Amino acid sequence: MATWNKHVAIGEPAMTGKGIGKAIKAAFQKDPKALAILEDMQFPEIEWFTDNMFDRMIECGIAEQNGACVAAALAAEGFTPVINNFLFASMSRAYNQIRQSILVDRFNVKFIAREGVWGEVGVSHATVEGWGSLRVLPNLVMLNPADAVEAEKATEAMMQYIGPAVIKQEMSPDPFTIFTQDYPFNIGKAYSLRDGRDATIIATGYMVTEAIRAVDLLEKEGLDVGVLNVSTLKPLDQEAIVAAAERTGAIVTAENSSDINGLGDAVACALCENLPTPLVKVGVEDEFGQSGLVTDEKDELREHFALAAKDVADAVKKCIKKKEALR
Amino acid sequence: MSHSDALVQELEAKAKVLVNDCLDQFCTFSQGHVGGTMSVLEIITALYFHHLRFDPKNPDWPERDRVVMSKAHCCEAIYAALVELGMYPRETLRTYYCHASPFQGHADRWCTPGIDFSGGSLGQGLSFAAGLALAEKLKIKYNPPSRQDTFLPRYIVRYNPKFRTYCILGDGELHEGQVWEAAMFATKFKLDNLIAIVDYNKWSLDGPTNDIMPIEPLVDKWKAFGWTVYEIDGHDMHQILDALDLVSKQYGDNKPKVIIAHTVKGRGVSNWEELHMHLGRGEEMMKGVREGRAKYGDLE
Repeated sequence: MATWNKHVAIGEPAMTGKGIGKAIKAAFQKDPKALAILEDMQFPEIEWFTDNMFDRMIECGIAEQNGACVAAALAAEGFTPVINNFLFASMSRAYNQIRQSILVDRFNVKFIAREGVWGEVGVSHATVEGWGSLRVLPNLVMLNPADAVEAEKATEAMMQYIGPAVIKQEMSPDPFTIFTQDYPFNIGKAYSLRDGRDATIIATGYMVTEAIRAVDLLEKEGLDVGVLNVSTLKPLDQEAIVAAAERTGAIVTAENSSDINGLGDAVACALCENLPTPLVKVGVEDEFGQSGLVTDEKDELREHFALAAKDVADAVKKCIKKKEALR
Repeated sequence: MSHSDALVQELEAKAKVLVNDCLDQFCTFSQGHVGGTMSVLEIITALYFHHLRFDPKNPDWPERDRVVMSKAHCCEAIYAALVELGMYPRETLRTYYCHASPFQGHADRWCTPGIDFSGGSLGQGLSFAAGLALAEKLKIKYNPPSRQDTFLPRYIVRYNPKFRTYCILGDGELHEGQVWEAAMFATKFKLDNLIAIVDYNKWSLDGPTNDIMPIEPLVDKWKAFGWTVYEIDGHDMHQILDALDLVSKQYGDNKPKVIIAHTVKGRGVSNWEELHMHLGRGEEMMKGVREGRAKYGDLE
């Protein structure tokens, strides 16, 4: 079995939403100025709904554009509003409201946004393109944690950070428990799960789990592959990415969303500008999401979009061939 | 509740000074949103030079009344008021539209002290204003939790500034669905500290507002959304002052208020009035500026 760096202990799958919910609850208990902006879309795993916080729940109904601007104004008056919804509804629907009313003035609004390749909900809700569309917006911190431990730490960091930020609550099967409790999360810092020699998988969110599976598959074929977890898409940790490229000379990116303007493109740009390196992207290729059944045995969508461990492993082998062709 | 003629005359004179300041801004690049700026000038004058709690020396004063200029393309009118209040030197007017100027093409809170809202993308102002009004309410409403919970702070430091929020909307802007989302929201949260003012100048960029997309019956619409509605002549200083006084006195009735101000686009300059000019450019613009100068007097 593959060996892992210090703060990694691969364990049972756990829901990232639980980690987010735990940190939100703690933040709400600590800071009376934290407010929940609700858009008729509460999820059970986010537990801010306690009796003594009832007057901090601003229910705006299914009117996300209004909700975003109300949140902006509350932040302008010193509150910390948190919006929890599907990304397509809270952020894509209110894209210009977020740009104009929140980001221009750097207002301290937090988003917990659901998106990703998963489940039966279909094309309207299983969006894959919203995350990338946010990357172009200035002043927005973008977090995509890999497991429940990191989700809790990232949410805590997001609530402490002053300024607009979004954490992606990924729609996916539950990822492995990856990190130990003493894992040091920092906004803007990537973390190397293992360094590797032949190639590096730069993964984010749920795809770190598939990357871990891919490492085991590749090890059986005698390949030593590293994994770099980039949980902050913005600001991007270019230094860690370039260091990984220097070490292995072959980069595969893996993300549970569109590969346009997401992690893959961000890494490709960082490397082209600093250290041109063979690169293969794994992600949804210019296509909308759709419904699919997920059971323990079978994940129809992961098959359809080629986002499973074997697809990541194939991409690694393809990339290593590219590297060798350049020699 | 009528106001003295002396006050009205003083404010009317001030409005003319603001016209001149706006003409200065229009001259910078021979361009500006002349129509909507000229139609809202008396309202801005009444707000900034009589009605608002606003301290030019301390534009971030927590107890200031908030002004959300939702039709932020007409921010020239507010810039003129801020100059006349001594917040910015007169030369700043000539930097309107310029790089790094505090007087950006559309109002920008981040770089212009005195501005409460970065507008320009229409339809968002009333939501933002409702959020500000809600913040004022929350501070009043909030009580430390009654049940003992060791996690919650024992004391909660709350500074409770009291303020009103004024939101200036264009009539064409009422085509935006978000305005009506905000209208519902304000009623739900009983935002009696929120006052919307519709600058109803009847003309949008492409033509008459009610031809482009009818907004009438406007009074009934606002009433149906639970608002208290007043209709005034938006160029009559007596009526403006009376309406502002009236809405302020009704704090505590749990209802948001809207003043529908009937105005004339491009008011005061015949050329702009005839053309219902929205965005003035080039020679048409300068023709109007010359007429305005002749009429209101170049104070420089």
